This record gives sequence, structure tokens and C-alpha cells, in this order.
Amino acid sequence: MICPMLFVRLCRIAGRECLRMVLMPRYLFGMVLPPLVCYALFTTLMDAGLPTRLPAGVVDLDNSFTSRQIVRNLDAFQHTDIVAHYPSVAEADEAMRRGDIYAFYYLPQRMEEEILSGRQPMVSFYLNYAYLVAGSLLYKDMRTLSELADASVVQAGLYARGAEVWQVRPLLQPIVVEAHPIHNSWLNYSVYLNNVLLPGVLSLVVLLVTVYSLGMEVKGRSGHRLLCLAKGNVGVALLGKLLPQTGVFVGLALIGNVWLYGVLHFPLYSGPLPMIVASVLLVLASQGLGVFLFTLVPWMRMAMSIASLWGVVSFSISGFTFPAMAMNPALQALNNLFPLRHYFLIYTNEALNGNPTMCIWTAYVALLCFALLPLPFVGRLKRMLLSHQYME
Amino acid sequence: MSAFLSLLHRELRRIFHDEGLLIFLLLVPLGYPLLYAFIYTNEVVREVPAVAVDMSESSVGREYLRKVDATPDVRIVGRMANMDEAKRMMQKGEVYGIVYLPSDFSVRLHTGRQAHVSLFCDMSGLLYYKALLMACTDVSLQMNKELQTEGLVGLTDRQIAVSTEPVRYEGIALYNPQIGFASFLIPAVLVLIVQQTILLGAGLTVGTDKDRRLPLSVIFSRAVLVARGVAYFLVAMATSAWILVAVPHLFDLPQLADAVTLLLFMLPYIGACILWALCLACWVPDRESVMLMFVFTSVPLLFLSGISWPGASVPPFWKAISYLFPSTLGINGFVRINTMGATLREVSVEWIGLWGQAFGYFLLLLGICKYISVRSGK
Repeated sequence: MICPMLFVRLCRIAGRECLRMVLMPRYLFGMVLPPLVCYALFTTLMDAGLPTRLPAGVVDLDNSFTSRQIVRNLDAFQHTDIVAHYPSVAEADEAMRRGDIYAFYYLPQRMEEEILSGRQPMVSFYLNYAYLVAGSLLYKDMRTLSELADASVVQAGLYARGAEVWQVRPLLQPIVVEAHPIHNSWLNYSVYLNNVLLPGVLSLVVLLVTVYSLGMEVKGRSGHRLLCLAKGNVGVALLGKLLPQTGVFVGLALIGNVWLYGVLHFPLYSGPLPMIVASVLLVLASQGLGVFLFTLVPWMRMAMSIASLWGVVSFSISGFTFPAMAMNPALQALNNLFPLRHYFLIYTNEALNGNPTMCIWTAYVALLCFALLPLPFVGRLKRMLLSHQYME
Repeated sequence: MSAFLSLLHRELRRIFHDEGLLIFLLLVPLGYPLLYAFIYTNEVVREVPAVAVDMSESSVGREYLRKVDATPDVRIVGRMANMDEAKRMMQKGEVYGIVYLPSDFSVRLHTGRQAHVSLFCDMSGLLYYKALLMACTDVSLQMNKELQTEGLVGLTDRQIAVSTEPVRYEGIALYNPQIGFASFLIPAVLVLIVQQTILLGAGLTVGTDKDRRLPLSVIFSRAVLVARGVAYFLVAMATSAWILVAVPHLFDLPQLADAVTLLLFMLPYIGACILWALCLACWVPDRESVMLMFVFTSVPLLFLSGISWPGASVPPFWKAISYLFPSTLGINGFVRINTMGATLREVSVEWIGLWGQAFGYFLLLLGICKYISVRSGK
């Protein structure tokens, strides 16, 4: 007999919550718009996968057949777009500071002549690492080019000394490194970042909305009414209030998954199930953490400030851009307190690497723990909902 | 004038007496940069753990692995008998790479054929891949030079040098000599913090006034907005000095800024931020929604600024959108002034753009005030 009554109450509270969402458009907009905007923004922003044709300059003081050929070859590289020639290093440097180019290649005077006479001229390339990604990509191109330029001269010398074609390659490059970046073979930045960025934005929004919606009950002095509907059962009240939100957020998480893995065909070596489970768990974990923060800090705006801090710091501390192993040991321990960290570990284990789920079961458990975090504090939550103590 | 001063006094008092504002306008600007700088303070990834699978069991193979292990970037934590064992280590997350030397590695080298090293990388972080690839490539290039000279008998050192390396080259890292993550990302984050804290502060103030049911014509009266703008400007200039000058200094980040240039650049940046924030704040319905509405924007704004994803590769549509926010111009200008020592002339595009934004948002704010006073006058 009890169960159906509970269910009816649950539905009534959930209905009330849905009505609140519709009547307070900021609430629904705050839930739905930020994730969708970010999904669209980040995936279209990085649609190219890797930045190509980055503007670079040349300082060619030699201006010989060889130097011009080197410049032409450089321009043909994937990441490099030679946009300008500068008469001196100083002017190229100034162009870099103006932001016109990310790097320049310097060919000294009398380079060709010195090559032919065996005086080992020095070419150099200058990279602007204030823009780390652009600098690194251009470095790759310019270094490869320099190796090739070197090799082409050696090759000419070898032919002149009577080497056969099949002998030349091993002589030029006895050891070859073959890199196999597993499951992201062309170093797609979109794959690398968006798999965690998008759920990260969602998790941030879930945290904030959870605290906000609970806080509005206190602020609007409607906590009493909420508990009345639940006949004093705070568990039912909380569940009924959060379930409609869970529905919306899980919907957004699924849209994210379909978008990434279904439409954009990002690596999904685990099959869809683990990632769906992980996304749902991330939503639940963020909700749990939100409720926990709300009960911990009986001061809505403060709780939201902490939620913001938690959500935003997740992006850095979870270690998907800058690896956790390079952080201070204290931070490596602290990052366990951020749901996004566990989601990131699940993602790399499942979707990216396709390892067995058993390898990473602890991360699933951790997310579950976050979801259950409010359980010991429901009594406190009840008192708070009844107290109507709103602080600015 | 005295009316203005008393309004200014009220706005400043408000900042120091409203704990919410105090957090946004003082505590976050003072504390948050420290947290960020602390997260990224190690700059680079060193000693990425990798495992070796040496099927060649040759001295040259062992030499190769020893040299890879000796690089600062990579640490060979173990040698496995076959790929399956190595893969298991990678699955457990103990290593991020596998260096595989095939059984014919040494034979091929000694019979004048090319030998291959296979490097398998975990792609959960690009920095792991970068470290592993750089280490293996550097070692192979170095050993290639040695192997080439082995075959050349009867030549002088000079002749060997010329025939193996006819053109020498060097790559020079400018403005971020250790090629570090913090030196590149933190300056951008710092500038963004200045803008976002002003936005949150302005929104919170408007939200609070709306909660107190003040009439809109009072909340958005021109005199109040001017006083608030000036008050925020004074506070933001002070906190920016900490954020943009002291924090980079504390964490040894590149700092080539000329003081006057930086000051002249910050004037329109903070001005534009405040006017932009005052415009956006009009839409804040209550005190707490300000975080719901604005906190998430930090992440997209950082990416739109063109620091991590190079500005030259931002699609035109998003590029146009990004110029609506002071942070895009502010970040690029500040990075070039602070990290690259640019002069005001070299950031003139950004500088003029920021004045333009400030002017545009000033007009918009006037329009909003006008609209509200007309509507409430009815």
C-alpha cells in the first residue's frame, strides 16, 4: 500500500518541478542552452581536427636556387602557410609580435655556396611558443624540412660517389621511428579535447542548477510546501525534485554522445553502452555533489560559488589537457574529488582504448559514490528546507 | 559632483560590504590565479613511463633503449618479453607508451637496410605522445649520425661532419623558452579572470537590486551606472595589478612587459570589460542566477580567444563572434605585451579594437538606460 502512495507523491512533486521549470524560463534556459551552445561551438571550432596552414614567414638572405626550393617545400607542408618574406630577422620578429606569423625560417647569406664548398651553413627557425600549439606544429614541419634538406644534400653526394638507389635510404636514415598513436592516428585535437570538454560543461551546469533549484526553494520559502507534498519524507521530496532535472540532463548527455560518436564518428572502441553509463553516472554524480554542497553550505550563493569553482577547476585538474602525472602530488590526490576526473579515466579506458571495463571499475564506483554523497545528510537537508533561512 | 562622489562612495562601500561582491571582485581575483598557476606550475611533462619490448636482443637495440631512457622526457620502466605483456601494462595505466624493436632490428642495420622502431602511444594526453615521439626521434637521429660515420673509413673528422651533416640547423624557442604549458596558458587565463569577475560582480549587483524589488529606473539610472563603472574600474585596476603583474612574477612566468605599455593597454581592456558587463548584467533576473548564466562562458571564451586553438584556424563565424567579447582582444594583446614584449604599436589592432568595443558597449548601455526610462515613464 505504501509504495503506490509514495509513487503518487513522487509524481506530484516531479510535476510541480516541471511546472517550475516552465514558469521560470531562466531555469530551463540555464539548463539546456549552455551545454548545447558548447556542443556546437567546440565541435565546429575544432572541426578541422588539427590546425592547418598556420601563417609563417621566411627570411631568405641567400636567395639562391637551393634556398628558394627549401621555401617552396616548406610552404607545401601541412601546417605551414608561408605568408610573407622579410628582409631581416628583426622585421620578422616584429611581425611575430604583431601576431601576423607564428614562426619564421631563416636562411643565411651565401648558404648555397657554403653547402657546395662543405662549410656547413646553419639554417634556423624561430617559433613563437607563447602560442604553444601553433609553435609545436610549425616546429614539427620546420624540423622535418631541415632534416630533409640535409638529407637531400647527402643523397646527392652519395649518388656522386656511386651509391645505388637501394643503398641510399638506409645510409641516410638507418633507424626509422614509426609512431602509432593508438586510436587517434592523426592527432585529432577535437577527439582529444571534446570527449571531455563537452561532458565537463554539462557537469558544471548540473552542479549549478542543482544548487540553484534547491536554493530557490529556501529563498522562495516553498520548502515547507515541498515537504508537505512529500508528507514529510525528505527522500521523496528530493527525488521528486531532482528526477525531472535528471531527465533533462541525461537527455543532454545522450545528445552529446550521439553527436560525438554517432554523427562525428569519434573513436568508440568500447561500444556505446559504457559511455552511456558513464555519462548518466556523471550527471548523477554532479547532482549528488550539488546536493552535498547545498547541505554543507547553508547559504545558497556561497554554495553556488563553490559549485562554480568545482566545476571550472575540473577542466584543469582532471588532467585531460595537462597530464595529472606532471602536477604536484597533492593535486594528484585532490583530483579524485572531481567527478570529471573519473569520467575522463573511464573515457580513455573505454571509448578511446577499448580496454575491458574491469580495468577501470574504480572510476565507476567513484562516480556512484558522488551520486550517493547526499544520503547521510538528508536530515540536515530537511531542516534547511523548513528553516527558510535565506542569506543574501 | 558631490552627488557623484556620494554615489561612488556607496558603490565602493557595497563592494566591501556585500560578501558576494567581495568574493567576486576581490577574493576570486586574488586567489584563483594562484590555484591555476599551481596546477600548471611544472610546465612540462618529464619522465613519461614507457615499456620496452626488445625482440632483437642486440647490443645496438639495448643502446637505443638506454639512450631513450636517458632523455629527460621518457623513463623506460620495464622490459617485456612480448607485446601482450606490454599491452597489459598499458591497459592498467602503468605506462603510456611501448617502444618495440623487431627481431631483425640489428640484422637490418648491419646489412645496410633500414631498421624500424615502432612506438605505440596512449592518446589520452597529447603531451605523452609528444614526449615519447620527441625522445625516440631525437635518439634515432643521433644514432643515425653515428651509424653513418661508421661506414666512412679513411676520412678526417671534418670530412665526416660535412658528409653527414652538410647543413646544420637549430630550432629556437622564442618567448617561452622551456616550451611550458603554464607560460602559454596562464597569461590567457589571468586576463580572462579579470573580465569574468567583473561580469559576475556587475550581474550580482543588478540581481540583488532586482531581488530587493527596486524600480528598474533606479537600478539602471545613468548616475548609478556611471558611479558603479568608476568604482569597478578603481577596484579592477588594483586587482589587475596583482593578477597581471604579481602572479606571473611569483610563478616565474615570462614577463617582458613594459610598464607604461601594459598600463595603457589595460585602460581600454578594463573599460571595455566593465561596459560590456554592465550591459549583460541587465538581463540578470536575481542574485543567484548570475552564476547560472555566466560561469560556463569562461570555457568557450578561453577557446575562442585563439590561444590554445590558434586564432588563424578559428572558423570565420566563430572569429566574428569572438570579437564581441573584450577577452579575445585582451588576451591576445596581453600575451603579446607580457610574454613577447610587444610595444603598443605592435598591439595597435587590439588596442584600437578595445576602445571600439568600449565605445560600442557604452552606446548600448545608454540605449538600455533610455529604453528602461521610457518604459518605466509610461
